[in-house]
Amino acid sequence: MDPLLANSLNRRAFLQNSSYSVGSAALLSLLGQDEATASQWRGTLAEKLHYPPKAKRIIHLCMAGGPSHLETLDYKPELAKLSGKGMPTSFTEGQQLAQLQGNRSKLKCLGPQHEFKRYGKCGRMMSSAFPNIGSIADEIAVINSMHTEQINHDPAHTFMNTGSIIPGRPSMGSWLLYGLGAETDELPGYVVMTSSGGGQDQPIASRQWHSGFLPSKFQGVQFNSKGDPVHYVNNPAGVTRADQGELLETINQMNRMLGYRQNDPEIATRIAQYEMAFKMQTSVPGLMDVTEEPKNVLEDYGATPGDGSFASNCLLARRLAERGVRFIQLYHRGWDHHGGVKKGIETVSRHIDKATAALVKDLKARGMLEDTLIIWGGEFGRTPMAQGSGRDHHIQAFSLWMAGAGIKGGTTYGSTDELGYAVAQDGVSVHDLHATILQQLGIDHHRFTYKFQGLDFKLTGVESAKVVKKILSNS
Amino acid sequence: MAPARKKIAELIKQEEHLKTNTRSTLVTLSTVPRTIKLLPRGDWTDDSGEVLLPAAPEFLSSEGQPSKERLTRLDLAEWITARENPLTARAFTNRVWALFFGTGLSRDLQDLGNQGQWPTHPELLDWLSVEFVESGWDVKHLVKLIITSKAYRQSSNASPQLMEEDPYNNLYARQNSRRLPAEFIRDNALAVSGLLNPQLGGASARPYQPAGYYAQLNFPKRKYQQHNDENQYRRGLYMHWQRSFLHPMLAAFDAPAREECTAARESSNTPLQALNQLNDPTFVEAARVFATELVAKEKAIKPRLQVAFKRLLNRPPSGEEETLLTELFNKQIKRYRSAPDDAKKLIAIGLALPPEKVDPVDLAATTTVTRALLNLQETITRY
Repeated sequence: MDPLLANSLNRRAFLQNSSYSVGSAALLSLLGQDEATASQWRGTLAEKLHYPPKAKRIIHLCMAGGPSHLETLDYKPELAKLSGKGMPTSFTEGQQLAQLQGNRSKLKCLGPQHEFKRYGKCGRMMSSAFPNIGSIADEIAVINSMHTEQINHDPAHTFMNTGSIIPGRPSMGSWLLYGLGAETDELPGYVVMTSSGGGQDQPIASRQWHSGFLPSKFQGVQFNSKGDPVHYVNNPAGVTRADQGELLETINQMNRMLGYRQNDPEIATRIAQYEMAFKMQTSVPGLMDVTEEPKNVLEDYGATPGDGSFASNCLLARRLAERGVRFIQLYHRGWDHHGGVKKGIETVSRHIDKATAALVKDLKARGMLEDTLIIWGGEFGRTPMAQGSGRDHHIQAFSLWMAGAGIKGGTTYGSTDELGYAVAQDGVSVHDLHATILQQLGIDHHRFTYKFQGLDFKLTGVESAKVVKKILSNS
Repeated sequence: MAPARKKIAELIKQEEHLKTNTRSTLVTLSTVPRTIKLLPRGDWTDDSGEVLLPAAPEFLSSEGQPSKERLTRLDLAEWITARENPLTARAFTNRVWALFFGTGLSRDLQDLGNQGQWPTHPELLDWLSVEFVESGWDVKHLVKLIITSKAYRQSSNASPQLMEEDPYNNLYARQNSRRLPAEFIRDNALAVSGLLNPQLGGASARPYQPAGYYAQLNFPKRKYQQHNDENQYRRGLYMHWQRSFLHPMLAAFDAPAREECTAARESSNTPLQALNQLNDPTFVEAARVFATELVAKEKAIKPRLQVAFKRLLNRPPSGEEETLLTELFNKQIKRYRSAPDDAKKLIAIGLALPPEKVDPVDLAATTTVTRALLNLQETITRY
């Protein structure tokens, strides 16, 4: 039976059989963990995964703005040779470009603005602007043949997060909570944090972590990165935890009665969220208490807790992962380098390079990397053609990397043409990426659907999507 | 000479006074318009194109094309509201409809064009738009038409079958239930308690905010100072808007940061909202002031509940609800009787002072009950 339905049936049975009194049992259900609460967050696939899962959770390091593949992961010596010379129109004629309008024959190549070096035992060429990410070259699998459909930030993020360019579809994290449930009922299963510093602070709409047509309790919850991650976790003065527990149980009972009269799925979500809120009042202070972190860990990340930096968010991401949060998404919003890409890359590197590598190493040291999937990348790439001293948005090709959870470290998959303009071999669409992510979580993307408006909706859409098997160690 | 000198001195003094005491205002001076040329394929470095005069985009209309005289902003205004231009009235009518139904007749409020969505009821949208224009762009007329309609007055309580068959309510066989927007949730709590200051206009209001929330704010560093007068209780509409550090209550209930134009808000349902309504001093204080009035009016809990339900939910409590809340009240009386200092702490939250002659235990226990009521889904939702 659909667990959501089962849940609502249980609720009705409970209502019919009780005289609506707040017994001590009800209070206990808030203070402790009982079966009803646990089942509320259980996923539809919880006991019937399609494959043995490699990943239990995901940390998505979203580099918002469109990172240049040509200054990060895609080594293009030919582009360096053509720098300052005309971009052959055979590449660009008839193609969609964002801001580089005008005569195509006037477009000029811009050589890679940072040197590439060999890193790791795998010897992969990577940008020297990110030496720390270079130091984990053997942990990560790079895909150099990503392509997408949307040339502007917001729709491109929407596509990356939901597999659709139309707003209103569930985001990846919501799909995962729906399918796999949460491993904790003390914290939201899907947490999003944005960081500040290091660029233009690209706007990111909360639509990006919305649950779309899935029940709204599966939506992402945004924590503040600066100062307190969650406000109002303390009770008002003169109110003890027991007082607050009684109050909450009364509110939820009243809402259950409403749910009996009124057909509104938001009521069930509201009840679940009040239970979650009550638990967060103790779990969040614990999450934030970094006094237990050794000094060298803080130094490895470069984190000063509470400063709102990407580094602090990385540390928090590890602590969230340890506490069973299913999907953690960190946005760094400084990658839209229309101008000054050389300096821009240096700036973002200062903000993300050290912390990203520290996160991977820290997870590995704790034995968590084997079941944590890390995804690093943006919504699209950037043109090999110059836009002044920078690069324009580009959807024909971009790069990203993944690590952990059955990803074969040291692999490089797919390639672009000699100038890094278009995919030359083994193209990977956003849907292919989603299919691969789902596979690592034990889910066959074909069989993971949600019925809505008479259709079986999938994260991977209706066109065929394929799992990128060559980057997986389990195939 | 003396009178002349005296007059000069007076005039100088007057000039100084005017310079320091007169409010300055922004004034737009009409200047010679820039020469605008056609940019071949949008290339702004190419100035070979012909010189152009202001005109409406050709693809939109054959009207408003260059005339002998240079067109002005008044011409633009007239073009926007011309009878031949249906778009303005349609876009406006669609947004007014959305205020009362949660979604527009065309679901995409920000784009009625090619990339938007076809209206569910195109004829109705057209009819309302024409009615709006012919009434002399009378917004009240439009609102009256909508809220007296059968469609608007329907119950939102639909059968599960209807919900499944028509999840987006394209058929309007029911009303949509809607969670109140952030500002309304605040206004509602303040209005119910009698704290609301309905003053129109003026400078922004600064309600309570978690201490140190602006500690990370830079360029320049600033410290948040809440209002300690009646400005504390102004409507959400007038709350101080710090875009990068939006008030946590506004952020939790999906108010936009105003960094970009937002025609339609999301409506989320998160634990952060619960924490806000439970623990934000604005809501705790509103609950206590509401409770103060109940305590003053009625001696026993049951009549208090009658008053509270009527005010807050516009209906009497059911027997079960009465039992449940009375039980909460009795437990809280017991608990605060054993710890009267806690009762005093709870009723001291906020600027509004509790009355001197009140029994703190009774008021604290009643406050717990009104906190429960302010937190209800039914309180923050239009069904």
